[in-house]
Amino acid sequence: MMRNSLITTLLSTVVAVGMIGAAQAEVNVVTWGGAYAVSQQKAYGDTWKGEKINWINYNGGLGEIRTQVESGAVTWDVVDVLPAQVRTGCDEGLFETLDRSMFVPAPDGTSMDEDTMNKAPNNCVAPNIFWSYLAFYEEGTFKGEQPSTIADFFDVEKFPGKRGIHTWPNALIEMALLADGVPIDKIYEVMRTDKGIDRAFAKLDQIKDHAVFWSAGSKPIELVKSGETVMALAYNGRVGAAVLNEGEKLVPIWDGQVLEEEWWVVVKGAPNAEAAKKFLVHATAPQQQAAQAKWINYGPMRKSALNLIKANEPWHHSGVNIMPYMPTREEVLPRSIFADPAWWADYGGEISERYTAWMSQ
Amino acid sequence: MALPLYATPGQRIWHYCYVTVCALVLFFLVSPLIVVIPLSFNSAPFLHFTPEMLTLDPDGYSTVWYKSLFGMCDAEGASLWTSCTDKWKVGAFNSFMIAVTSTVLATTLGTLAALGLSRDHVPFRRAIMGLMISPLIVPLIITASGMFFFFAKVNLVSTLPGIVLAHTILGLPFVVITVTSTLVGFDNTLMKAAATLGGSPIYNFFKIQIPLVAPGVISGALFAFITSFDEIVIILFLGGPDQHTLPRQMWSGIREEISPTILAAATILVLLSIVLLTTLELLRRRSERLRGISPS
Amino acid sequence: MSTSPAKPGGPVLTADGTPLKTSLERSLKLSKLRALGLIFPPLVFLIILFVIPIGSLLTRSIDDGLSNKVLPKTLAAFERWDKTSEPDESMFEALVLDMKAADKLDLSKLGTRMNYEKSGWRSLLKITARGLTRIDGPPYKPAMLQLNTRWGDIEFWRSLGAMKDPVTLGYYLKAVDLKYDGNKNIMKVKKHNRIYQMLWWRTFLVSMIVTIGCLILAYPVAHLLATMPLRLSNLLMICVLMPFWTSLLVRIVSWMVMLQQNGVVNDSLVSLGMLHDENRLSMMYNFTGTVIVMTQILLPFMILPIYSVMKTIPSSYMKAAQNLGATPALAFIRVYMPQTIPGVGAGCILVFIVAIGYYITPELVGGKDGRLIGNLIAHHMQNSLNWGLAAAMGTILLVAILTLYWVYDKLVGVDNMKMG
Repeated sequence: MMRNSLITTLLSTVVAVGMIGAAQAEVNVVTWGGAYAVSQQKAYGDTWKGEKINWINYNGGLGEIRTQVESGAVTWDVVDVLPAQVRTGCDEGLFETLDRSMFVPAPDGTSMDEDTMNKAPNNCVAPNIFWSYLAFYEEGTFKGEQPSTIADFFDVEKFPGKRGIHTWPNALIEMALLADGVPIDKIYEVMRTDKGIDRAFAKLDQIKDHAVFWSAGSKPIELVKSGETVMALAYNGRVGAAVLNEGEKLVPIWDGQVLEEEWWVVVKGAPNAEAAKKFLVHATAPQQQAAQAKWINYGPMRKSALNLIKANEPWHHSGVNIMPYMPTREEVLPRSIFADPAWWADYGGEISERYTAWMSQ
Repeated sequence: MALPLYATPGQRIWHYCYVTVCALVLFFLVSPLIVVIPLSFNSAPFLHFTPEMLTLDPDGYSTVWYKSLFGMCDAEGASLWTSCTDKWKVGAFNSFMIAVTSTVLATTLGTLAALGLSRDHVPFRRAIMGLMISPLIVPLIITASGMFFFFAKVNLVSTLPGIVLAHTILGLPFVVITVTSTLVGFDNTLMKAAATLGGSPIYNFFKIQIPLVAPGVISGALFAFITSFDEIVIILFLGGPDQHTLPRQMWSGIREEISPTILAAATILVLLSIVLLTTLELLRRRSERLRGISPS
Repeated sequence: MSTSPAKPGGPVLTADGTPLKTSLERSLKLSKLRALGLIFPPLVFLIILFVIPIGSLLTRSIDDGLSNKVLPKTLAAFERWDKTSEPDESMFEALVLDMKAADKLDLSKLGTRMNYEKSGWRSLLKITARGLTRIDGPPYKPAMLQLNTRWGDIEFWRSLGAMKDPVTLGYYLKAVDLKYDGNKNIMKVKKHNRIYQMLWWRTFLVSMIVTIGCLILAYPVAHLLATMPLRLSNLLMICVLMPFWTSLLVRIVSWMVMLQQNGVVNDSLVSLGMLHDENRLSMMYNFTGTVIVMTQILLPFMILPIYSVMKTIPSSYMKAAQNLGATPALAFIRVYMPQTIPGVGAGCILVFIVAIGYYITPELVGGKDGRLIGNLIAHHMQNSLNWGLAAAMGTILLVAILTLYWVYDKLVGVDNMKMG
């Protein structure tokens, strides 16, 4: 014990010496990669007049944040996090609580928290976006009737050919049940029973032999374009980017899309917490929230931002209407599933195991 | 192995099969590295040979990916979706600094260990040697996990010293191995002769032992350098945003989408490895000559 | 007469008059100390930064102290319970008191920990912690059941049994698809959720295939290199060493370019008419891809040891055998091959050891069925954050590798390891 603490002290001193001179007056914003990060830089970064922003990529997960907070050597300020991590992280005290009154209200005076499409799960979060998992295919793949529902995606007799699906279970369980005829509002109820999970996997079995698995977000577009699969599931933003920016003829199937929340947080003990909060106030204002959709078709979390887009079409920077590509527009919501982070927090581990086992059978 | 003149037809066939198999295996080893080089000059953003490339049309080739690698983007290249970045440059610089620092540390410590271990009458010699080499044997994923838990306790996670120390550990075995093997051929009577001739131990050490050990030290250092320069697992587990290295940049590129920019980086790294390999080979020859071992 | 006559039978003295034996002992001791002095700094460095960290893996893998720290009363009440009847008021009381006294952060971490034993604990603890303020006195049982009906589910209570001891083998059990039931009996996990045994088996299988593949490819090449004129073999040696010196990621990228669906190999086969466009081979992002790429990456580790042994075998042995009437094939099998066994053994163990712990390659090219145990360790380290399980899997892997390392040391000797 004694020896251990001695070593600890010595090493800490070494580190402290090494850290001198690392004075910072910049905000480290940690987010995902690709076109998504670019859209954030354009909409939030380029319009920001304050401290310099360092955009940093990460692969998600709480691991790095947890070590930073526990070791006290926090280098990240703002992080873009998934719904499950938002809840766990806030419970574990990894994030700062944010004063709700500092955020910019909607133009009609509605407070920020009233203005979000999903209620904020806790006081650690600031609104960001909605994205979705959805099925898509390339125009001209099928003769005659075109696939239009998630049930069609699971129907390899009606629409023969391979299907591209991801290597983790999120969204797939929900989609399988919806395709199997479970009403949308009953899906998570069914998923809480063992029978329901069996039912979902039985549905997945139907496409098992036709499945090609992907794990990188760019892959499904490639799979469909190269003809390796006739349909695939993908992040809606990837499909949108291929259509809007590269002129690909891809057709999204909005039916049965699974919407996922995305939130901003400030790491507990962030070195530039004050500047970080100011940046978040800026980035979550309706104007900036809407501006992001000029560059990518993810749905702003704030309703007033969506209204702003609707009122000012064509909104996309290329001069086309963006609303038809928005996952959160009213027309598609009745047949969309809002992912339930609470369910995934409880059952995610167990389902991942079962999915991994299923995948490699 | 030349075929004797009196070989039977069967032996001939057998011999040609054997040579073909060997050629195929060597091709298997080297071909992927060679394929990358022309593809990195592709003017189209594809990872296969375009018809223009196959007909050697100059339009099929370009250095645009090298420009974007070095953060030089012309108006076209700087379009939103190929997002031109200086991360490769930053990564290369960071990798180089980390590699140099950890190489110096690993070489110093490793040479000390090797000198100590090659003396006569070292207690627990075999056990200590085994321990010194173990970072090479223990899977990186385990080393990284263990260091992650321990470094978190002493605030070394996401710090530059943490990465440097971890890389030093990984480089250490190489130095120990190469220096020890130079010392195996070291004739101890040289030191005794020098002592008899009146040289002080320190003088003799620097004038006789060091020059003879030098090739081993340098090749060990090269191994340590390349190990750190290419290292990815430790960086993924222990590195913070400020430790953005070249392999890390490649890693995120590969996971996202393999662009020709990555092939450009790969080509440069292949050339680097050829340079290092040549240096090493020259050193080995020099060492053998110095120690009076004629090439067998 | 000399001044210091050496008495016959007396000790031999050195010039300064001390007995030779003592003097030699002293000089030996000094030389030992000097050697140890040189070894000491690197050794200490290695122990602090390598051995202790890996030791901390071991403690992580058996540590289960959190539940005892947060729920001492509940676990005591659990011991008194018969595990079959419905939990009584005293158990609910203990639970409420424990939870009220608990640190909020610990409670959240415990929720994560308990969720490993039974899915649903995480939200149950969270909901309860939130509603706890509304419960201010006995009887606790009805109030808790009202808060969440799951508290009436005996399975949740039973799962406490697996967490009652501060030291647990639970993570090790989990790493081989076993678990504790409420009475700490070992049982198998649900059939659908068994993945670890399969992954250990797959890791073993991939390592075996890669080792055998490397051996088959390496043997003729090593033979060629060893029997060729030196100038030529030095040139070919560069082909062997170059991949060795090239960044791992570069090699992986190269293989992706070669083997993917519209990669160089498939393209060539299609344009040569050897393959139909729709039957392109899938050689990447699966088991096959992992095996091919790992074989290429590890091949030099097999060629070099075999080559260095073959180089020492005089060609006269083969000639002698043939002169004595053996056919070349027989001579090769009976005379040459047995002599290469040490190199083959060293190469095989080395390749197998390195292959079994692979992580980066299968992560990038493994796809759905080419990922190995190392990938699951990384997954639990970085994504699921089940560090106990990651540590247990790491420890099992480490023990396997150290055993092989020990065998390698006995057979070859670690100090005979050479680079390049």
